[in-house]
Formats: sequence, C-alpha cells, structure tokens
Amino acid sequence: MDHEYDVVLVGSGIAGAVIAKTLTQAGKRVLLLEAGLAAGMALSPEPSYANYQRYLETFYSKANKATNGPYPDLPDAQSPDVLQIEAKTPYDEGYLVQNGPLPFASDCLRSPGGTTLHWLGNVPRMLPNDFQMKTLYGQGVDWPISYDDLKPWYEMAEYEIGVSGDVAAQVGPDMDRSNYGDDYVFPMKEIPQSYQDQVWMKNTENLSVSLYGKDYNVTCVSMPQGRNSIPNPAYRKTGIFWNDETKRLELAGDEPGKYEVVGAIWDQNTGNRCEGNASCVPICPVQAKYNALKTLKKSDHSKLDIATQAVVSKLLVNDTTGKLDGIEYKVYANPASPIYTTKVAKGKIYVLAAGALENAKILLSSNAANSSDQVGRNLMDHLVMLMWGLFPEKVYPYRGPGCTTYLPTFRDGEFRKDFAAWISPLDNWGWSWPTFAPGSDVSNGLAAGKFGKALRDSLADTVTRQALLHFECEQAPDPNNRITVSPQYTDLLGNYRPVIQYDASDYMRKSFEAAKKVGDQIFAANGIEDFTDYNPSDADYVTWKNRGYTFWGAGHIVGTHRMGSSPADSVVKPTQQTWDHDNLYLVGCGNMPTLGTSNPTLTMTALTFMAAEAILKQLEA
Amino acid sequence: MTTSRNYTDLFLPISAWLTGFDTTELQATGMTATYYATITTKNTASCIDDFFAQAELVLQEGGGDEDKTNSLIASQLFPTSCYNNLAQNIITMWYTGEWAPDVNAAPSLAEAHNISPNAYVQGLMWTAASTHPPGAKQPGYGSWADPPIGPPVDAPLTSISNAR
Amino acid sequence: MSQHYQAPAPRRRQQLFRPDEPLHGCGLITSLDSLRSHLQTAIEIEHSTIPTYLTTLYTINPITNAFAYQTIQSVVMEEMLHMTLAANIMNAIGGHPAVNTNDFIPEYPTYLPHSDDAFLVPLQKFCKDTVDVFLKIEKPAHKFVPPEFNNYKTIGQFYKAVKYGLRYWDHVTPGGIFTGDKSLQVTCEQYYGGGGKLTAVYSLSDAVLAINEIVGQGEGMDGTIEDPDQVFFGEDVEYAHYYKFNEIRHERRYRPEDTANCPPTGRRVHVDWDAAINMHPNPKMKDYPVGSPLYNKTLDFNQSYMRLLTCIHDAFNGQPDLLMKAVPLMYDLKYKALDLLNLPLGNGEMAGPSFEYVAI
Ligand SMILES: Cc1cc2nc3c(=O)[nH]c(=O)nc-3n(C[C@H](O)[C@H](O)[C@H](O)COP(=O)(O)OP(=O)(O)OC[C@H]3O[C@@H](n4cnc5c(N)ncnc54)[C@H](O)[C@@H]3O)c2cc1C
Ligand code: SF4
Repeated sequence: MDHEYDVVLVGSGIAGAVIAKTLTQAGKRVLLLEAGLAAGMALSPEPSYANYQRYLETFYSKANKATNGPYPDLPDAQSPDVLQIEAKTPYDEGYLVQNGPLPFASDCLRSPGGTTLHWLGNVPRMLPNDFQMKTLYGQGVDWPISYDDLKPWYEMAEYEIGVSGDVAAQVGPDMDRSNYGDDYVFPMKEIPQSYQDQVWMKNTENLSVSLYGKDYNVTCVSMPQGRNSIPNPAYRKTGIFWNDETKRLELAGDEPGKYEVVGAIWDQNTGNRCEGNASCVPICPVQAKYNALKTLKKSDHSKLDIATQAVVSKLLVNDTTGKLDGIEYKVYANPASPIYTTKVAKGKIYVLAAGALENAKILLSSNAANSSDQVGRNLMDHLVMLMWGLFPEKVYPYRGPGCTTYLPTFRDGEFRKDFAAWISPLDNWGWSWPTFAPGSDVSNGLAAGKFGKALRDSLADTVTRQALLHFECEQAPDPNNRITVSPQYTDLLGNYRPVIQYDASDYMRKSFEAAKKVGDQIFAANGIEDFTDYNPSDADYVTWKNRGYTFWGAGHIVGTHRMGSSPADSVVKPTQQTWDHDNLYLVGCGNMPTLGTSNPTLTMTALTFMAAEAILKQLEA
Repeated sequence: MTTSRNYTDLFLPISAWLTGFDTTELQATGMTATYYATITTKNTASCIDDFFAQAELVLQEGGGDEDKTNSLIASQLFPTSCYNNLAQNIITMWYTGEWAPDVNAAPSLAEAHNISPNAYVQGLMWTAASTHPPGAKQPGYGSWADPPIGPPVDAPLTSISNAR
Repeated sequence: MSQHYQAPAPRRRQQLFRPDEPLHGCGLITSLDSLRSHLQTAIEIEHSTIPTYLTTLYTINPITNAFAYQTIQSVVMEEMLHMTLAANIMNAIGGHPAVNTNDFIPEYPTYLPHSDDAFLVPLQKFCKDTVDVFLKIEKPAHKFVPPEFNNYKTIGQFYKAVKYGLRYWDHVTPGGIFTGDKSLQVTCEQYYGGGGKLTAVYSLSDAVLAINEIVGQGEGMDGTIEDPDQVFFGEDVEYAHYYKFNEIRHERRYRPEDTANCPPTGRRVHVDWDAAINMHPNPKMKDYPVGSPLYNKTLDFNQSYMRLLTCIHDAFNGQPDLLMKAVPLMYDLKYKALDLLNLPLGNGEMAGPSFEYVAI
C-alpha cells in the first residue's frame, strides 16, 4: 500500500461513502481507511447477510435496546455509548470524557457504514432562513452559502439516500413549494402516516396555541424519510455522474418512472418497502432504511481499496509546504488487544469523513487545520425535550417507522431572536425512549400487584394509548461547547479520547419553557393526560425560572470544524477544503456553521456532494 | 441437585394464571421448554419443589374459579417474598424474555441480556399491547396506517382449563 | 490489511423462453368464455402451490437453513407474482378473476388443478420427499410437447395452450379481445419484493410477455440450451424454480458451465434436512374436537387466510390498491402459522396450517 492514491479517505459513513462512490465512479483511485471490523464491510450477498444477521441476533439478545447495542463494541476504536451518559460530570468511565457542566448526550457508531446503521432516517431540508441566523436573528453565524446555493445538491442527496415524501405537504414557516421548485418530487411517495398520527392530526391540525402573548397556528406535515416506499412515477432522475466536459457533478436523467428502489445490500429484492419493523433505531432488519453501505456498494470497486480495522491517528503535516504528506493509521488484528502496526497512507488529496467527534479529534491530535482555533468548538446537537402522556383512546403505538409526521410551526419566526426554534416530530414508539416502555409497564404493573388477566388488560389498556411528542431544539453555536484532547486520556491504541465541555445556554433553556407551554396546549387539545416527569437525577436535567426540564441527545453531532467565509473564524471553505492545507478536505456534520431544525444528515450529504465536486476539480486541475 | 420431579405439566397452567395468556397462547411462543429450563437452572431445587407444590394446591383449591384462584395466587405465590420472587420472575420472563434477576445483576445495561434472542421476539408484552416486538414479526408496508389487524383479543381465560 | 471488493454485478434474468412459434389456429379453445375459464384455472394453478411452499417454508429456520429458506421464499414470491399476472390477463380480456370462492382452495393433498393427476401436492414439512414434489411441480416441459389445457403434464404445456388461445381469439375477434377495463390492472406500484416484474396487461404482446415471465420463472428452459454462449447459471443469474429447488435437493449451487439436464456441480451449500419442525402432514380442522384450542387456532388461521383471499379478490376486481393491504394480512397469516407449528399434538408431531375454506 505504498503507492499513491488520488485520494485517501477516512471513514465509511454516509459522508465517506458518498466521496468513495462519486470519486471512483469518476475514475479516481481511492483508499478508504475504516476503523471498524472487516466483517462489517462485506458487500456481497452471503457474507453481508451473515454479518447483518449477527447484528440482528445481538439486538434480540440484549435486554436494553440502546442505539449501539447490535454492533460490535471495539475497545480499539470505541464509540460513545448513550448508556454511559450519567448525571455526573466530570465523568470519564465511558469513551467520552465528560467535563460538563452537562454531559453531551449523543452517540455515533464506529463501524463500516457508520452511524447510518442506526440512524432514524428523517430527512427534512433546512429552511432558507436557517442560513442567515446572524443577519435575521442576531444568533450564531450566517452560512457562507445560501439555501439556493445548496438546492441542487439537496436534490442529489435526496436521490442518493432515496427519500420518500410528499413535497407538496412541506408547508410551514419559511417553507413551501418554492423551497423545492414547482415540478420537484421526491424519488418515492410519502411513507403512510401512522394511525396514531391521524388521531393527533384530527385534534391538532390548525390548532391555535398562544405563546408569550402571540398566537401560532399548529399544522401537521408528513415527514420526508430515507426509507423505501412506492417509487414516484413522476420522479425523473436516474443517476449522479461527473461530467468531464463541464467539470461538474450532475444529477442526470430526465425520464419519469425510472427510479429503482435500492434494496438490502445482500439482496436487491429485500427491503423494497419499509415493512414496519419499528426498530429503525437501532437496526432495520430488512434494510428498507437507507444506510451508507448501499452507497459504498455502488462505488467502482476496481478503483477502490478498502483497509478495515485501520484507525487513523494522525495527519502528517509538512510544515514547509503546509500540505499533508500522509496519514498515519494503526491496524489492529484483534479489536480488544492493544497490539497494532502503524502504517502511513499517501494520496494527492486527503479527506476526513470520520464524523464530527473523530474529525475534530484527529485534527487536534495532529495540530492541523486549526489556525482559526475553531477546531473542536461549537459542538452542537438538537436538545430533545420529550413530553409523554396517555391518549383517551387507543392509538396503537409501537408500529411503523419512528416518525411519520412532524409539526413545523416553531421551526422559524421572530422568536428565534429570543429562544431556540424547534421541530416537533410525533413519535410512533410510545414511551420507549423516556421510560423504556413497555418493559417498564410490566414491572410497574407487577409492583402494583397486578398479574394474570389484570396485568394483561392493563397493558392492553395503557400501552396502546401512549403518546410521545418531541421538541428538537436547535442548539446555537457556542465556542465553549467543545472537544479537546489531552494526553491524560487515551484509548487502548494510545489514540486520544474526546474530552468534552458542554452546557445548555439560556437561549436553549428558554426554548424548553416555550416548548412545554406549547406542548401543554397540544396535549390538552388531544385530551392527553400528561405523565411527563423531569427528574433532577436525569443526566441532562436543567432549570429555567425555577422549573426543571430534561433534554436528551438527538444523535445530531454537528459543528466541530465549521465552514465559513474567512480563515479567521472557520476551519473549512465552502468547498470544504481546509483553509490551512490545500490537500485536506473535511466532510460531515462538523462543517455545518449552524444546525437549523432539520435532522442534519441530508444537508450534510448535500454538502458532501459539493465537496466531491471540488475535489474532482482540484484533481483535474 | 435436581427437583424431586419434572413440573412441566404444572408449569404451563400456572404460567397461564400468572400471565393472563392461555396455555395454547403460551405454547404457541415455542418458549415453554426454554423457560422451564430457565427457572430450574436459576433457582434451587427446593425452591422449585416448594413453588410447584404450592402452585398445585392453588390450582386444586381454586378449581378453575377465576376469582378464587386469583386471590390464592395473590396471597400464596405472587408476593416478592415468596419463593425467591419466582412467580413475578415467571411473569416477567413470558412478557419480556428477560430473566429479571440476571438483568438486574448485569454489570451494566449494555451487558444485560435476554434469555435468548428468540425470547425477546416471543415477548408477550407486545402481543398484550396489540403490536409486535420491534425488529421482528414485521407487519408489512403501510400496516401502521390502520389499527392492528383483527380486534385485539381479550385473554379468554376460559380456555386455560383446556390445558393439555 | 487491504481488501479488494468485487463490484457486485447487477443480477441478470435468464432468458428462458424460446422464440414463439408462428401464429396458427388453435383447435383447443371453443370460445372466448372457455379461454377465460382456462385463465381462471391458471390463477388456481398458481395459487395451489402457494400453501404448499409456504407450509414447507415455515417448518424451517431462516438462519440455520438460510439457503433453503431464501430459495423457497423467493419462489413463493414469484408464485404470487404469477397469480397476479394471470389475473391481469384475465381482467384484460374482460373476465373476472375469482379467488374467494369455496372451491378455489384445493383440498390438500391435491393434484394440480386440471393436470394429468400424476402426483399429489401435500402440505408437509421440509424434507427430501417434499423437495422432490416441488421439482415435479416445476418440471420443465419437453421441447416439443403439445399445448395442453387439460391433463397437462407440465405447467408450461398448459400456458402454451393459453398463449395460443389468446392469439387465436385476439386474431379472430373483431376489435380484439383486450378490451377489459384498464383500471382493473394491478401495476408494479402495488407489487414489490420478488424477482420479476409485474406488468400491466393491455394488449396481446403484454399478455405474451406476462406468460413468458410465468413460464420462464417456473420451469425455465426445456432441457437443452439453445444458445451455447448464454450463461444460464451462476451467482448473478436468477434462474427458474426447478433449478433453484434442484440446488437445494443436491445441496450444491450450479456453476456457469453446468447444463440444464445435469445436476448442479458448483460449491456445496448447507442444507439441514433434519432441522425442520415435525409437522403433521396435511392437517385438517376436523382432526381436532370442535372448540378445542387447536381447533380454534386452526380456525383462526383459516379465517385469516380467507381474509387474505378476500382482500386479493377485491384487489383483482376493481380495487388494485388493496393489494398493498394484502401484505400485512400475509404477514399475519405467517405468524399464525408459526404459532400453530409450536403446538405439540402429543405424538411427537406438531400442528400446522391447514389452508381450508371457512366462511367469514
Ligand atoms: C440514534 C440516532 C438517530 C439519528 N437519526 C437521524 C435522522 O433521523 N436524520 C438525520 O439526518 N440524522 C440522524 N442521525 C445523525 C446521523 O446518523 C449522522 O449525522 C450521520 O450518520 C453522520 O455520518 P458521517 O458519515 O458523517 O459519520 P459516521 O456515520 O459517524 O461515520 C464515521 C465513519 O468514520 C469511521 N471512523 C471514525 N473514526 C475513525 C478513525 N480514527 N479512523 C478510521 N475510521 C474512523 C467510523 O467507523 C465510521 O465509519 C442520527 C444519529 C443517531 C445516533
Ligand atoms: S419501520 Fe422497520 S422496515 Fe421500516 S425502516 Fe424502520 S426498521 Fe426498517
């Protein structure tokens, strides 16, 4: 492996897979370094099926259905674990070193395919106003690009992920047809909204709620999702390719009815529709849900070398040229052993796609790309406040994908000057997130002396009425919410562990208060009896005006190497080339200057296609 | 040490009274043998002997009468103090697929395991709630847009007496 | 550590059918009505194998017997496709597919409807005998067999007769026979998840395509390979049911070099013949006392089955979108069958799905 590649790429999550596929299909030679196990990289039918069945068996076997549960835990390349998020800080018994004052509550997955193996797959676009938070609302920063700049790339991302949804339904604050264009449709039709959603909608559509003296009209919108449904016959795109003449990446095709649903990696006929397994997080048994291995599989494999069990530790920066001379990585044979061999990979261009935590960590470990001192800073997530209660009637939760409908009402508005905006997904999975239901309903029933028919009846009566409402609040960038590294904290291979300093600002806390006020009115309109319980012993319990609120992590790890228009306050250019090293690109959610109220991966994937074009241009220059 | 006899003939009927699922429903999970093996390996033989001796009495005395049997169970079998909490552990096992003492004793949540992968899949709490275990027994595209197929059946306790 | 991964080639569908013989008269069909009734037979033939394949499928473990499971499952999916294609042809020529009548479900063990009654098709567990029956069901037609509606030896023979009938009557009928209501067609929007494509049928050429798909997937070619350059076997080729079952039977995959009339010689696959649930063959409701738990469970299964057939019937008769609702009913049926297969009969055997007509 001492020959030079066009590109050395780190990470096989969706960001890495998009780069690998796009560049190899354009004829470039790529080496992909992946920290996870070789078995997980299987892409041909039998080995990939066997490996995935192992994930599924592990999922069935674990009593706790945490996000990383089905996947191998690798001491040599650990992942953060949501089960290790404790109310106390400093806390360093997990992978993350949590210096607080609040623990960072999200995880990701180090494995071939990355975090998309256990993502939910909600893919709403950001709103145009999200790109101008500073100008419009005096919060955070503006993006160096606009919504319109990103629009064609969104279309590519929606093709790649295979989005099911109804464009016409995407109406709300700063959101209507014009965000998409008149003729635009998603590749597949919308995923049917759940029975439960229909009950919510009956009581919530056009509900007027008041907040701090102002009235808002609540609406319900079907959620665009990265899971398979019925191909939309009006969709006209057929592929993404590099046009050698125009030197542009193009979303090609102008023929309706040609969209091919992408099935499971082991069998194209499996997973052609979402089958309603209701386990998208942490694992979709039929791979109806998009995961990055689907993209990786489409690479030109004659141009792609993949090294697995290869943990990147350091970038070799040449101080004279300011360029990278190579990437150092540690190869392990046994994921639980400290034994490794060190290797160096060389390419014309280097791309880090290791996720926002690991990208920042690798840069900090190498003292690279950090002339702005922004690397590791502005760590963001959606702070998810939950409200749960019981409907007066049976709504039959625990069925279908996690979310099929959301409330867009508080995604944008003047209030963003004052407190954070949020998106409100309606949750189809009962109280499983906050209370571990229905297992907890069984144990509570027992504790209340119930057994036999009484126990069965009480589950039939209550579990079927469980309602859960999310408020995913947009965390504003804060330079003090950050990842650092320290020689004091290293892992089994001697690589740094992320040291995290994290808090929820007043801007966030006020949004919890606002969200709770809105939630109370929505619950009342639905006749939902509120069982929400925020407890000071919760990991992320905060107070605001003498009331307590708990938030959870959304898994949306964003902002650690943001893009900007000046090298003084950002790490990458809009092309996602680092300001400091012209042969180093960063891709992933770390590039996002602000978060908006969208789950970030669609936007990040759009950005990654932009980066792929920039890299191809640079290689051809 | 082994139990003084094999109690599989009693295990299903008493499980039916404890869970509210009839013996056919319990058998249809295919878990009976696994679960019986679980209770006998996880408890002392004398605890098992005592529990089933009491269970047999309860069933006899109750004579199939619902209220009577339930009140006997409530006083003689169900309290956590009885037989090392075996009755409640049996209920949790059928409902969730977990052997509760093992799960509670696990060093961390991540290391807590179900009795077997299939025990999770066959958990009756999902049936009780008119749904299916997440990740298994998928109901098919679009099914979630309608109420579950068929009227949710209430446990027909009558057929418990039909136990083979 | 570097590993090279081969670009997975797109699956190719084997070209299984020979070029069609020229149009000539067909003395086998006396009227358009009889053509329609033979299409009803086609639907019944396609349906009749589904309970058989499903029952056997449910007696094995999808993980420990993965190869057999996936193979049988892919065949069942295609049988459902065939049944739908046959219904599309029927609707295209103005007929009315009927799948919910009391004589629609055969009584197992059964002969294939209108066949030469050479062998019985049972509901029984996975074993070598069962796979032998599957091979008989899907046996390729000999090259020069005449078209045959009744007493056919192979399903291919039957469809050849249907094809001729369609051609003939479309030719002799002024304005043609493909005048059925187009909105009755089930399209690929409503069908997914199996090999093969669901084509809506609006014309004779659509119908011929549909029949070729049915026969091609079922029996495939007829013992001789006409185009020596063509690859018939291999991991990336989807081949006909007969050959899929033959791989299970011989516990080997075909190699690209293999010929159609010889057994497969490729790499071994693991088939665990002994790991099937010991289901009592051809179970019936009348085996159990009325009202007993087993009776009730079996009845419940059959009611679900009837609900499924009713849904499919309605989908074929004016509400094609209902076919999507059939999928959850199919899963429901599966879980009920698996429940039955867990219920011991007391003699070492297990209960099982009986697939009987019951009124709902
Ligand atoms: C529970 C959960 C639900 C989510 N739901 C949604 C959702 O609904 N919608 C949405 O938009 N987003 C969602 N997300 C977020 C989404 O999963 C991530 O934004 C996205 O997957 C990130 O992709 P990535 O390719 O940048 O990084 P990752 O997928 O994290 O991939 C990083 C890759 O780099 C590899 N790697 C890491 N370190 C090294 C190293 N040192 N050397 C070599 N390789 C390395 C890893 O093994 C991995 O393959 C969710 C996240 C979670 C946790
Ligand atoms: S609901 Fe089920 S089938 Fe659908 S995407 Fe989620 S896990 Fe996959």
